[in-house]
Amino acid sequence: MAKHIVKRVLITIPVLIGMVLVIFFMLNVVPGDPVTVMMREHVKEDLIGRLRQSMHLDDPFFVRFFRYIWDALHGDLGISWKLNRPVTALIAGAFPCTLKLAVASSLFSWIMGIPVGIVSAVKKNSLIDHLSMGISLFGVSMPVFWVALILQNTFKNVLPVSGIESWRSYILPTVVLGWSSAGRIARLTRSNLLEVLRNDYIRTARSKGLSPFSVITRHALKNALIPVVTMMAIQISSLLSGAAITESVFAIPGVGSLAVSAIKNRDMPLLQGTVIFTAILIIGGNLVADVLYSVIDPRIRVE
Amino acid sequence: MENILEIRNLSVSFASDGVRERAVAVNGVDIDIPRGKTVGLVGESGCGKSVTSLSVMGLLAANGRVEGGSAMFGGQDLLKLNDRQMRQIRGNRISMIFQEPMTSLNPVIPVGKQVAEALRLHTGADAKAAKVRTVEIFGKVGIPEPEKRYGCYPHQLSGGLRQRVMIGMAMILKPDLLIADEPTTALDVSIEAQILRLMRDLQRESGTSILMITHNLGVVAELCDSVYVMYAGEVVETAEVHALFDACAHPYTRGLMASLPRMTPKGQRLYNIPGTVPNLRAMPAGCRFAPRCAFAVERCQNEKPPLITVGDGHCCRCFTPLSRGAAPGGEPL
Repeated sequence: MAKHIVKRVLITIPVLIGMVLVIFFMLNVVPGDPVTVMMREHVKEDLIGRLRQSMHLDDPFFVRFFRYIWDALHGDLGISWKLNRPVTALIAGAFPCTLKLAVASSLFSWIMGIPVGIVSAVKKNSLIDHLSMGISLFGVSMPVFWVALILQNTFKNVLPVSGIESWRSYILPTVVLGWSSAGRIARLTRSNLLEVLRNDYIRTARSKGLSPFSVITRHALKNALIPVVTMMAIQISSLLSGAAITESVFAIPGVGSLAVSAIKNRDMPLLQGTVIFTAILIIGGNLVADVLYSVIDPRIRVE
Repeated sequence: MENILEIRNLSVSFASDGVRERAVAVNGVDIDIPRGKTVGLVGESGCGKSVTSLSVMGLLAANGRVEGGSAMFGGQDLLKLNDRQMRQIRGNRISMIFQEPMTSLNPVIPVGKQVAEALRLHTGADAKAAKVRTVEIFGKVGIPEPEKRYGCYPHQLSGGLRQRVMIGMAMILKPDLLIADEPTTALDVSIEAQILRLMRDLQRESGTSILMITHNLGVVAELCDSVYVMYAGEVVETAEVHALFDACAHPYTRGLMASLPRMTPKGQRLYNIPGTVPNLRAMPAGCRFAPRCAFAVERCQNEKPPLITVGDGHCCRCFTPLSRGAAPGGEPL
């Protein structure tokens, strides 16, 4: 088991390096001169030259790349061109908001999604099944910015719709993000449970004299939720890296908002930092999902 | 002799999508299971033998429905009990073994726990006592290193071991009746013999009656005291096992026996019953076997034969029951 985990962790190292290379390269070929971004117009030529030199912008690509990797390994992702503060500090400052939102919307999606999926499967083709699957499909299919705007407009007199004032500011963004995740979880739970309920071992469980409730909770759910748990792990990692659209619409100063502002300002170090941060979280989420999978499914457990 | 289970006039139908009419899978079946005896229920796939057992257990699929009849078990009609009452009986006084040991155990729960679960449910034993009893029954059903196997998952065990686990699960409460639905079909022959011997030994010890559902006449000869042969949802012949093998009276039974592969000269074709099982929604008006029967006369096409007595405890649903020595197609066997 431990060996399996170590192996999975080691595999992520080349993935990370390759990913940083791609991001670094892409942001390098994007047109636009950082110095002109930072300076106002009509700046003296020699000042620009000095600045370029101090930022090592004239060095060859690979020299800059390896310097970046080296610095990154020491926790230094560079200085934001626009805000003139260390990127790591900016991300660290924005992360708490994103974390709260991610945890809240994940909990919301689990608490809503799993029971709804179970009830829908048990009451298959009933009114409640059609209704909850309709609401789930709506959450999955509607663009978040649209749902966000509609909710803002509907609840503008009851709940805060912009910025972070108190915990109540998290309610609407949590619903926006959680709705689509809950929809996905509910639909996956339902379809898995329906499939599991057709299995022979469910008949065996019933033939023992277990009640329908025990059959579902003790025998069916454990099998049906295996794929759902892995989906939840991947979902929370993508939420942790910041929900760019939702954070922007609700003006939440999280990692997503930071990334959006970096794009707007052509702030390469900041953008690079947030993208790498996102990628690390997603890789981490996949790793957790993978390990969880082998923990809860004895068939995959490595002897 | 006292019967532990008496099924009378059982009929079961199924609904399927897009068809108004329900398909009748079991039609007026009578079966008696004497206490402590083993009764075979034989027939081709789809003849209604599994459906018969599942309706007795109250485990029919959602689209199935018992249309009529009774199943008297210890003074109660099983078909009239509600789900709560039925759960008291299931796994406790009547238990079941299924065909597929590979898929009949829950893959994510240790096998020992799955067996102990039945015990705890019906006796209220605590986890520790249930484990002791489970390990004990594992030993009894011939699982080597029972203590170690308790925590194993189904995928870590072979098919034969899994079926032993299933038998242990079914027998741990010493039920009055064990319904075994093709328990050895998925196993290879050497394992099959071991499992059958195990079932017979356990039966001797506990006095459990067994309803053995199978399409394998060899299993019947090995294990059963009496036999019911089913065809297209009806019982077509019933007899003591020796009487049946000695001189079966129904042409279908004769066909089944002739279909057993045996040592024949190379190149000689294996016998099979011509034609196929009739569609449940388009049953022949007369005898259901008539279209495939070599002995059918005109009467068989139009009139439904009743179950008539042809010998001591030997009944047959045929107008022209075979006499000793006759073979399908008229050739001697």
